[in-house]
Amino acid sequence: MKNNAQAHPITVEVVRNSIVAYADEMANALCKSAYNMMIYEVRDFCCGLIDTQGRMISQNRGGLPIFLADLGVAVKDGIKRYGLDGFKPGDVLIMNHGEVCGQHLNNVVIYCPCFFEGEIVGFAASRAHWVDIGGMRIGFGSTITSEIFAEGIQMRSLKIFEEGKRNDTLWQIIKDNVRFPEAALGDLRAQMACAQLGARRYAELLARYGRATVEACIEKIWDQADLKVRHVVAQIPDGVYTAESALDNDGRTLDKPIRIKVTVEIEGDKFTVDLSEMNPQTPGPLNSGESGGIAAARVAFKALTSPDLDVNEGCFRSLNVVIPPGTIVSARPGAAIGLWSIALPTTIDTILKALAPALPDVVPAAHKGDMGGCSFYGFRNDGSRFLLMNIFGGGWGGRPAEDGEDASVSVCQGDVRNSPVELQEIRYPIMVDEHALRENSGGAGKYRGGLGVRITYRVLVPCKVTINNERTKIPPWGVHGGGDAAHNISVIESHAGGERTVFKGTEIPLEPGDRVLFDTAGGGGYGKPDERDPRAVANDVAQGYLSSDLARKYYNYTAQAAE
Amino acid sequence: MNIVGVDIGGTFTDLVGCIDGKIVTSKTSTTPADPTIGFAKSLELAHCNVPELGEVLHGSTIAINTVLERKGAKSALITTKGFRDVYAIGRGNRIEAFNLFFHRPKPLVERRFTFEVNERVNASGEIVTPLDPQDVEALAEQLKQNGIEAIAVCFLHSWANPDHERMAGEILRRVHPDLFVTLSHEILREFREYERTSTTVLNAFVGPRVSNYLGTLETYLRGENFAGKMNMMRSNGGVMSLDQARAQPVSMMESGPVAGMIGAGRLAQHLGLKQCIGFDMGGTTAKSSLITNGEPAIEEGYVIGDHASGQPMQLPVVDIVEVGAGGGSIAWVDEALGLHVGPRSAGADPGPACYGKGSLDPVVTDADLVLGRINGGRFLGGSMGLDVAAAERAIELKVGKPLSLSVKEAAFGIATIADTNMSLSVRAVSVNKGVDPRETAMIAFGGAGPLHGISVARQIFIPKVVIPKLPGTFSALGMLMATWRQDFVRTLVGRLGALQESLVRQVFDELAATGKDRMQRDQISDAVADFRFYADLRYVGQEHALAIPVSGPDMLVGDTSKVRKLFDIEHDLRYGQAAMEENMEIVNVRLVITARKDDTIAEEWMNQDWFPTETAEETSRDVIYDDPAKPHRARVLWRPALPAGFELTGPAVIEEPNSTILVHPGDKVTVTKSGHLIVDIANAG
Repeated sequence: MKNNAQAHPITVEVVRNSIVAYADEMANALCKSAYNMMIYEVRDFCCGLIDTQGRMISQNRGGLPIFLADLGVAVKDGIKRYGLDGFKPGDVLIMNHGEVCGQHLNNVVIYCPCFFEGEIVGFAASRAHWVDIGGMRIGFGSTITSEIFAEGIQMRSLKIFEEGKRNDTLWQIIKDNVRFPEAALGDLRAQMACAQLGARRYAELLARYGRATVEACIEKIWDQADLKVRHVVAQIPDGVYTAESALDNDGRTLDKPIRIKVTVEIEGDKFTVDLSEMNPQTPGPLNSGESGGIAAARVAFKALTSPDLDVNEGCFRSLNVVIPPGTIVSARPGAAIGLWSIALPTTIDTILKALAPALPDVVPAAHKGDMGGCSFYGFRNDGSRFLLMNIFGGGWGGRPAEDGEDASVSVCQGDVRNSPVELQEIRYPIMVDEHALRENSGGAGKYRGGLGVRITYRVLVPCKVTINNERTKIPPWGVHGGGDAAHNISVIESHAGGERTVFKGTEIPLEPGDRVLFDTAGGGGYGKPDERDPRAVANDVAQGYLSSDLARKYYNYTAQAAE
Repeated sequence: MNIVGVDIGGTFTDLVGCIDGKIVTSKTSTTPADPTIGFAKSLELAHCNVPELGEVLHGSTIAINTVLERKGAKSALITTKGFRDVYAIGRGNRIEAFNLFFHRPKPLVERRFTFEVNERVNASGEIVTPLDPQDVEALAEQLKQNGIEAIAVCFLHSWANPDHERMAGEILRRVHPDLFVTLSHEILREFREYERTSTTVLNAFVGPRVSNYLGTLETYLRGENFAGKMNMMRSNGGVMSLDQARAQPVSMMESGPVAGMIGAGRLAQHLGLKQCIGFDMGGTTAKSSLITNGEPAIEEGYVIGDHASGQPMQLPVVDIVEVGAGGGSIAWVDEALGLHVGPRSAGADPGPACYGKGSLDPVVTDADLVLGRINGGRFLGGSMGLDVAAAERAIELKVGKPLSLSVKEAAFGIATIADTNMSLSVRAVSVNKGVDPRETAMIAFGGAGPLHGISVARQIFIPKVVIPKLPGTFSALGMLMATWRQDFVRTLVGRLGALQESLVRQVFDELAATGKDRMQRDQISDAVADFRFYADLRYVGQEHALAIPVSGPDMLVGDTSKVRKLFDIEHDLRYGQAAMEENMEIVNVRLVITARKDDTIAEEWMNQDWFPTETAEETSRDVIYDDPAKPHRARVLWRPALPAGFELTGPAVIEEPNSTILVHPGDKVTVTKSGHLIVDIANAG
């Protein structure tokens, strides 16, 4: 992309805003015409423009933070396979290969080449979470697979449309091998339109300013981002910072915690995240490919260095990620990766924890630390198949000058939304009995952690529930003297009487009238509890965030003192 | 008929009226403590005889300011048992994905004033747990004791069956007649409990204050023997009756800003501008809106306040982007010696330092005065002399000294920063939507719009700026062109082709009945009313729906091929694809009723031939444009004296009673046949 074209400052501004506006427009088109709630509500997707070398030109705002500039990997594989000359107008490619993408197979990339004046000038792509991709268990989130072949069908850089003509064989294979073909093919159509829209818009931009000028502007935008980020990194004291935590288990060997250990090295304006000491990959599906480790490092890095910059290639030039193959975030080909994202929130929090001593004004206490969600699966009374999925928020850690937020989605999920109860009850044979803040769940501190959530489902037909709680042994931690938060917990109440606590379980059968209670974790506390303003404690009690008993225990609170 | 529009902003109260076939205007300061004072004064200044007025239209920022300042009623919320925290939890999303210091919307009701009652309706509208009236009565007593002024009731699935909300409402209103009660189904009969709750709470929160204000206003007008109709400007770009505004103040959130955009849309049509940006700069904020083919975009709901932490409001609203920069925005210097302008505003009282009311905080208007851009002797038509020395003192004290700048340099910095803030906001409505500002025109209005609009346009290379007639009171003029408009919605979920015919007809009948009821209350005759039904449709499995116009229930039962074709076309247009073989379902039915106005005098006036109304000598003065050390000698002209076809090239200042147009060196101005000014920017692009 090197050229001598002039990047007039105003043109740079127009290009900067336009390329992100196009990505946002793609996102809107995808979101509004998608067929599954993982896209339209949970926003488990990303989209954007890629250059002919597979570099990220722009990405939509909002959406999932862990999809950070990682569409390029998928597109590069296609470039390698077909060569740039091998793409024709009207081609649409499909890609979810585990070894290349490193994410669970539900995340399907659809992209198309962008042409201008007969020349290929880039690609427009989206990655979106399909409800089901086949395999031995419905949806995703099963803890029982041990190799990728049980987790669904893999499609590696295949042309689903070739010069506008549909590949009916591939189409039929997909249709016959996933559980909700209407939804899958509907999403495929939505993703295709989204990619074609992006390609069209980018070509319009080139028509307005010329290819050389636009590419010069993009280079300029990357350089500017890089410069800003380097400036921030240079402010962090040089040094080697290490932190460690753990996940509970891989869902199979329950007494064996999974090590999350990170080292961050700051040297001038270079920021290195070393993930060599992460737990070796597990036999179960709690692994991701290398892209998982890179995503975790990038999210932490971006939150610290450029939270407000649009995502592009330039934001990460000063970040170096060291990650040998074979760890839980860099699993070898063939490994099960169905739960690829489970380790990421904790990995990100641990990177932040490592830097907490160096950056006391920037790093909050730990947040809820898991992806938080549930799925119910079964058949309605009319025989139709349903799969309900929802995402829950939890508490965020206390911060250097204020309490943590309540009931918010994880660091890996940005503009991800919980599903309205009214919508769930319209669509699925369930009722929700309670959707509430989880009182007493925030860690104590000068600035306390936010509260988790309680949501209680009552099922109206026989069905199955899948539960994946994490971080019950090392709950969200406090920093600088703050206390730990309450951890995740789920309880199944049988309509016939009796209840049991469940941390992880795949497709647990339920009878009509059975209830499942999900309590999500709070956030850790920041600073010593005895430094908390007594008026803030009194308010917590008055509003019901904290019981007076616990207020007395953590903060020496008495009702008289409050008055 | 004699008709006036009065627009009360944070700083100024503007009036435009049509009295005995002639346009009258006035502009006066707002008295925040009692806005009726400004109202009365503006009528007096325009020589309006109140008993002879047939209609008064009014727009006000009172509702939105109540939310932004969080100065609403002490409010409570009643929910279904188990759902007390729906409002606090919201959707759990973090819009600023990488911001560890993010804030989510902060509820307007404290948790301790959020109460649950034991009741439950399911998604089909069936009562699962009946509401016990005694529970509500007990609660009403408790609310009284807590000194609650307003209450929002939002029960789960009340969109499907509002009986429990109605029951609760009757009890609360009976036991506690002074309480301002808002029931969610009365505001929005659409599913999604969080967004409906937020909208309902907003109504309750602003209700008592807005209702009191409108009551005071009505008492004043009736006391002056006003016998006509009074209508309020609402966020959807239409107007509504006073009674409705008192019950549903949430629908007047954008009451002030939208009128100007409606006016700008009409002007764009008249001038044949396909794509333009309405730019409205007043005393406290600058607002912009993209106008395509004369229509400002309408959104189904938006967020009040900051995009990440603001309050969701789910009613239709004209899409406007706002920034805290206005003539009254205060300039200040931070500890690190950074110069900022806004978002705090001096408002009308004490106002800018140059008002001479003792304020030492310099504002944008002070800077404009010091730079020679406005004329202290002619401000507000000369009714209010400006004190240049006071402006210089304030700028010197608060900006010049700390930054070691001369007064002129400091004033130049203030104006430049304000212009930059605004140009980013204008850019947000254009380039952020993929529209190149170089391919648009700006219509600049509001008291300070013509003064700063051209600078803003220059910064982002908008080649053409239109300054309409009466720019200083343009929003009030726009009101005279707004039609009565009501939006209604009912959720109706089902598969197209398998809908229960009686239910569909019932929903249409109910919507029409609600609309007719509203028309009757507002004395709108069938002859002028225009009913438009829309069906929110989608392919089965999709979530988001598209509103497709339907003539009536027949299009949704029996042969549905016509509506399906319309949907496929619209879907393809919006999202680049259609699935002709897919099943379809309906989610909501909407009804928009507008009522044609009997008079089009404001539109006619805007397009009618312009003749100078006054004569005036051209003068000149030194004006600082781009270099504080090198003022330009600018021609100073009086707009009412400029004939159609008049042309000039800047530097120049064109003054008129309620506004000043700053023409930069090289810019070319033409007075159109109808008297609007077209400014062609020098070296644009």
